[in-house]
Amino acid sequence: MNEAIRMQVSAFVDGELPENEADLLVRRLSQDSHLRQQVSEYLAIGRIMRGEYSVQGSDALRERIAAELDAGQLQEPADTVAANQPSRYARPAAGAAIAATVALVAIFGLGRVADVDTGVPATAVVADEAVSETVPTMSDDELRRLMILHGDGSNSFSTRVTSLQMRAEELAEEATAEEPGTDEENVVTEPVISQP
Amino acid sequence: MLTHTQTSKAAACIVFCGFFSGPQAIAEQPSTPQDWIDRMGNAVQVTNYAGTVVRVRDGKVDTFKVVHTVTDGVVREKVVIQDGNGLEIIRNGNEVHCILPDRESVLVEEWNNQSTLFSTLPSSDIRFGNEYDVLIKDFERVAGRKSAKLAILPHDNYRYGYRIWLDTETGFPLQTQLIGDDNRPLEHVKFADISIEQDIRSSALVSSYSTDNWKWYAEPRLTINREVQSEWVADEAPSGFRVVSTQQKILPDVDDPLTHIVYSDGLVTVSVFISPVTDAKKPRRSSVGASNSYSTVIGEYRVTAVGQVPQVTVEQIAKSMRQSQ
Repeated sequence: MNEAIRMQVSAFVDGELPENEADLLVRRLSQDSHLRQQVSEYLAIGRIMRGEYSVQGSDALRERIAAELDAGQLQEPADTVAANQPSRYARPAAGAAIAATVALVAIFGLGRVADVDTGVPATAVVADEAVSETVPTMSDDELRRLMILHGDGSNSFSTRVTSLQMRAEELAEEATAEEPGTDEENVVTEPVISQP
Repeated sequence: MLTHTQTSKAAACIVFCGFFSGPQAIAEQPSTPQDWIDRMGNAVQVTNYAGTVVRVRDGKVDTFKVVHTVTDGVVREKVVIQDGNGLEIIRNGNEVHCILPDRESVLVEEWNNQSTLFSTLPSSDIRFGNEYDVLIKDFERVAGRKSAKLAILPHDNYRYGYRIWLDTETGFPLQTQLIGDDNRPLEHVKFADISIEQDIRSSALVSSYSTDNWKWYAEPRLTINREVQSEWVADEAPSGFRVVSTQQKILPDVDDPLTHIVYSDGLVTVSVFISPVTDAKKPRRSSVGASNSYSTVIGEYRVTAVGQVPQVTVEQIAKSMRQSQ
């Protein structure tokens, strides 16, 4: 992902990219899964470095990235230009490339979930409501079920799709749980309803 | 007989109309923001479309292939998530199949509502001027189509704002942005490409996989007892939020009934779930995208509020729930 794309992405997420350019960017994103992944990584690192992503362990990760930046242990190749920009995305843009080697594994190791109840008081995780975020763990069946129920009646495309994705995750977990010894009571080997 | 001047004016008008709007310009366009909103409300119910939607939120980019038709009132939809496990969602009327290719599994569910994927924003009973203002901001091209850009501006910090780009020909939403209190988008949903009212073949609405020999799961039916009168009320719900439905639900594998109260300000909904306490968890906050939840214990009950509203809103509603005498 080159610098021009990074700047476009930053402007787009801020709602500041002219619509004709946004059209081209979104079309390219829709057609290029590798670019989508790169953009997601770039945005995720930016959020962590701005302290917006309060998943467990991210504070330590952020400090580690900052320490390495301060120590100048990593190269700053093409992102020097971005680092000189006044945009608040400048630092994440630089960090995205600089810290990639230490951050990406950690981010995807952390995943997109965090458990506010596991070993960390909720107040510590949600230190600042304006910027902090926690995501229900997929093991939190109760909360997930409530979010699915809410999404079923929602008038938001995003909420509805998220609800369905959560339901599919439930299904995947059920399927995984049944793989060692299939529970015949709950599994229908023949279609229960024919295909439309 | 037309004079030379009249002929020139007529020709200029034809050129002008054709250049800017094409043949569809014959259809009269809404003149007020409310007219546009009404037109959108109709468009999401009747428009057939196929396209690619890109969603950006939570520092993540997702892409969905969507197909949607309505024939004789029956909604058929197909959504394919382009990343991750390649989940397919096929809807035929009230029947929904969630297809997981990597698991070779299909979940069959029944939906009880007529909502469509883009039955989005806002409901007809929104009272613009009280909690929100709505403005026509501009006319821009989105996904190759001319669109009217509307801005919905909240009056306080208890709700998000919206920017919506509506296709000028049909009123269908081509792009939406959810706007936080710092005036920055929290979420983008935008069509990368779209075909509207084209002939959509039935084959575009079936699964891409041969699923006959896969594992099929029939979801235990969610039992909705009925609309009920609840003694629970929010003492201090933010202005404009009113109860629009109260249901008691019996969930699979759960002994106690769940009370589900839906609050709405006409634009967004907040669900409040109330059930007897089964454990002693601390109050907690969570979020998925721009949706937030807050869960607490009031007396012998766990109260959880969920909605696509700021954290302060779900927290205030949940904390203020009381049993009326």
